[in-house]
Amino acid sequence: MQDRRTEIIRIIKDTRSLPTLPGIITKLSSLAEDGKVSVDEMARVVTSDQVLSAKVLKLVNSPFYGFSGRISTVSKALILLGVNVVKSLAISSSIFEIMEKNTVGLWEHSLGAAVAANIIARKLNLPEREEISTAALLHDIGKVIFKIKLEQDYDHLLNVIKEKELPMIDCERELFNVDHAEIGEWLVKSWLLPEKLIEPIAYHHNVEKSNNQRAKTAVVHVADVLVKASGFGFSGDDFVSRIQPAAWEKLGLNELILKDIVSELENNLVEAKNFSMDIQSKSGQQA
Amino acid sequence: MQRIPIYQSKPGMVLAKEVRKEDDEISPPICGKGIVLTESLLSRLERMGIQALSVEGHPVKMEGDKPVEELLAALDKRFSKVMDDPLMIKLKDIYKENIIKSMEGQDARPAD
Repeated sequence: MQDRRTEIIRIIKDTRSLPTLPGIITKLSSLAEDGKVSVDEMARVVTSDQVLSAKVLKLVNSPFYGFSGRISTVSKALILLGVNVVKSLAISSSIFEIMEKNTVGLWEHSLGAAVAANIIARKLNLPEREEISTAALLHDIGKVIFKIKLEQDYDHLLNVIKEKELPMIDCERELFNVDHAEIGEWLVKSWLLPEKLIEPIAYHHNVEKSNNQRAKTAVVHVADVLVKASGFGFSGDDFVSRIQPAAWEKLGLNELILKDIVSELENNLVEAKNFSMDIQSKSGQQA
Repeated sequence: MQRIPIYQSKPGMVLAKEVRKEDDEISPPICGKGIVLTESLLSRLERMGIQALSVEGHPVKMEGDKPVEELLAALDKRFSKVMDDPLMIKLKDIYKENIIKSMEGQDARPAD
């Protein structure tokens, strides 16, 4: 068991490149050709793709640019790097893989979580909303890298989840003695991303363990629960997990606010779905 | 709420979201939320190049639409692991109410 864990850590830590959704590239190129496009519009397209967002943030936080660990949002990165650097970064991205059904589901889940996190942060008047959405967008990055690096094991994992009807995180721990939150944590730490993003990714299944970024972690946790409750996207299993007391208390939530959040989320997800279909059909045309 | 193409919109439907020009988040909205659609308003929106509207309930039956019962059964399944938690029972009720409300008018107005 320990050996399996060590082996997985070794394989995953050898991360030189990550694939990205091709449709994003098309949309980004057409935007960049426009000439009049604003940084905000560009940022919106980039943040709709978790892998691309992570790449941009990794680059801008690399020692090469000297902002190490201080740039936590895509729009700040776009201002610092310039639209063209981000555009070529996107286009030259090494891997143009056809996304499988399951990965599109995971992408939708992440997009939905970012939408939910943004609503929660706004309703509760929390500072640094864009950081919170970015963390929500990246919260399951560990699953993406797991699927890419260890595809057979990932497929096996999904089959076991389906068969036993167990939550994904429990199955991961049982089969591999490691889970996607931990994998995501190594990954974003090795990219020198800010702590503001690391804790929500590392502890979105265990809010109590978050010390310095508990509010952000709590939002990402609740966003994850809500997007699964909405049945939007596919994160690996279909089961809603409980909202942890540590998150509920930290955010000072109550039923009334929750109701308000859910109703806005359900409406916004209709649009997120349209956006997701838009991206997929554009990548289809390209192929 | 349902997002429908403007040619399927009919007088009497209620706007669930304000109407804006395509991809324009900055300009003020053309038409506010809660407005009841009329023939003249619809033709004006059409002339302005608006292609889709978000309306209350679910007045137009679309391909792939699931009946309310099916949506609620899927909701039950998703929440099946946490029904021992009073907070999660409340959350499920919130979702249930939302689903019922969002699908209102589903059967009352069959497709043309």
